[in-house]
Amino acid sequence: MLNTERRDQYVQLMASRGWDHLLLYGHAWRKDYFRSLVNFSFFGPHAAATLSKSGELSILASHPWDTENLKPIDADITWNGNFNSALKTLARPNTAIAGMELMEARFVEHFPSPTSATLAIEELRRFKTPEEIETARRAAHLADIGYQHFVDTAKVGMAEYELAAEVEGFLKTRGVEHNFMLIGSGGTEVYGMKPPTDRRFQKGDSITTELSPQVDGYYAQICRTLILGEPSENQRRSFEVFREAQQAAEDFLKPGVNIMDVARVQNDIFRREGFGEYTTSKYTRVRGHNLGLHPDENPYVLEDVDCSVGKGMVLIAHPNTYLPLAGYMVFGDTLVVTETGCERLGKSEKKLFWKEA
Amino acid sequence: MKRGLITWDKTELPPEVFQRRLVVVRRVLAERQLPALVVYSDLWRSNEARFFANYMPYFNRALLILPVEGMPTLLCGLSPRTYRWIQSVTPIEDVRPAGNFAKPLGEVAAERGWTKVGVLNAGQLPYDLSQALHGGTVELVNVESEAVFHPANDDHEIAMRRKAAAMARAALDEELPAGVGKIDHEFVGQLERRLRLAGAEDLVILLTNGDTAPGPAHGKKLQEGYSVSIALEYRGHWVRMSMTEAFRNPELIPSGPPDILNEPVHEALSGSYPYECGHDEGFSANHQELYDHETERGFLMGDTSWHGPKGWEVL
Repeated sequence: MLNTERRDQYVQLMASRGWDHLLLYGHAWRKDYFRSLVNFSFFGPHAAATLSKSGELSILASHPWDTENLKPIDADITWNGNFNSALKTLARPNTAIAGMELMEARFVEHFPSPTSATLAIEELRRFKTPEEIETARRAAHLADIGYQHFVDTAKVGMAEYELAAEVEGFLKTRGVEHNFMLIGSGGTEVYGMKPPTDRRFQKGDSITTELSPQVDGYYAQICRTLILGEPSENQRRSFEVFREAQQAAEDFLKPGVNIMDVARVQNDIFRREGFGEYTTSKYTRVRGHNLGLHPDENPYVLEDVDCSVGKGMVLIAHPNTYLPLAGYMVFGDTLVVTETGCERLGKSEKKLFWKEA
Repeated sequence: MKRGLITWDKTELPPEVFQRRLVVVRRVLAERQLPALVVYSDLWRSNEARFFANYMPYFNRALLILPVEGMPTLLCGLSPRTYRWIQSVTPIEDVRPAGNFAKPLGEVAAERGWTKVGVLNAGQLPYDLSQALHGGTVELVNVESEAVFHPANDDHEIAMRRKAAAMARAALDEELPAGVGKIDHEFVGQLERRLRLAGAEDLVILLTNGDTAPGPAHGKKLQEGYSVSIALEYRGHWVRMSMTEAFRNPELIPSGPPDILNEPVHEALSGSYPYECGHDEGFSANHQELYDHETERGFLMGDTSWHGPKGWEVL
């Protein structure tokens, strides 16, 4: 539960920055700063882990059951339903806070001259330990089998939310903690993915999904497109652009390259095919992003993001966007940066999936 | 994370319901001489914006602006590509993109001639957003939640929570006996599938064999007399429920009078968060543990209650 490698890194960081205390804050949606040190999925609304410069740990939870579950950790553990007032007692001078921006403003106001440790902690977390990479590999395997279940289960007449429920049940049964999932279905009228609706699948639909199973805290992601019925010429042609763009990123990714170029090599494929305008924010969000204890970590793979790639980064390259050929389409895989390049953690086939309808 | 069916069924929540809620907001604003109320929302803290506009940002932040005069506006961190979906789940027609929320809020204020606005629970805004808004062109005035947000006095809110409770109860009644001997993950998967097919928007499921506090599934075999605690969200309405398999297995229950080992856990269900410990005058969940000293096992039970005119009523 306690990531001792991170603890040692954080203590070194505190020494180098002159911080007396480091507080790692989490709330129900963003548990990642807290979990980078104390890998427990608390279920109360808030939790904070405070590390002293000598490495002593104290934890404040907001639910009594969280406290009981955290007992195996060697730390001073307390809980208080009134997290705001309890946090006041932790508000010591010279405290740096990771996740400060996410905290309720009234929480931060307790701290005299608080310093944000968010970026510094993010930069450390960006590079995964060998153990973290193995966990991401397990998550990628579950993404693979989860997607295969998605393909096997989808059929004409089924509602989007019914398919999501089937996949959710499948993944949870196999030990997945959470699963971030978006879905879209239809044709050229579809501009993106969203939570599942009650729309029922029709023959010829393109069903897009982003599956992101979380295993022991760590997310992997897969993006694939499934056609119900034999793909049309336009669907096949569109997919080829996505396949080539994603492959370009995978071929390019290695230590020392810049994230902006990982985006550029993908976008160049779209530009070459005359689809440059569909790489802009009007039609797409990002060309990928880092993965870890949050399913959408920095850096975002965009042409205006300046960030050097290093060994141990786990990210997804996904050139997901709208194209007029066949509507919104997605394609992407989780990649880990190695000494000389990158390794695809998932094993799903790199193809446009389709099934008889 | 929300990945169940998020929808707006107008037979359950007719548009007039939101109009009535807006009337209350407008009255409070007029009393305080404020031209509008800003309500923050994100993936987890969506209860209040949901109450006024049925909108839940599934991945991002949003600010709902409820004016005294004119139509409400939604400032939305999501891409305009999702607006068609947004407009299918909310009565709000004016949806605008917002990266840094301070600028678009300033633009809306300038359009309508506002120099100040009310902010619902201003101290609970995320720190970065609070800093940005305070650095903007509009003065922010705190409006406490209690002034405008009364879900427990609202028939539609009560009805929605009743549906959520019925859904959770039916699933636990049927699935609990079948869980004995299963690995907890398997049981959780079965519950997730069933409840999401029934329309649950989100779920948090905790389990215990009675020798620990309830916690997330972690590969343990469920024994006779195990307990489950479930938080279920149905279209923005959370309920909590705890049930033990022991009640179907009477020989597991202590023969003498059972002890209550721990203080009951009280959870508030009307606040900004889906659930949090504390006392709530409207909707509350109470979890009680029966403890058998002989076997050193606890058995958990609990339910969501509504405080109505006749006192507390289990939903």
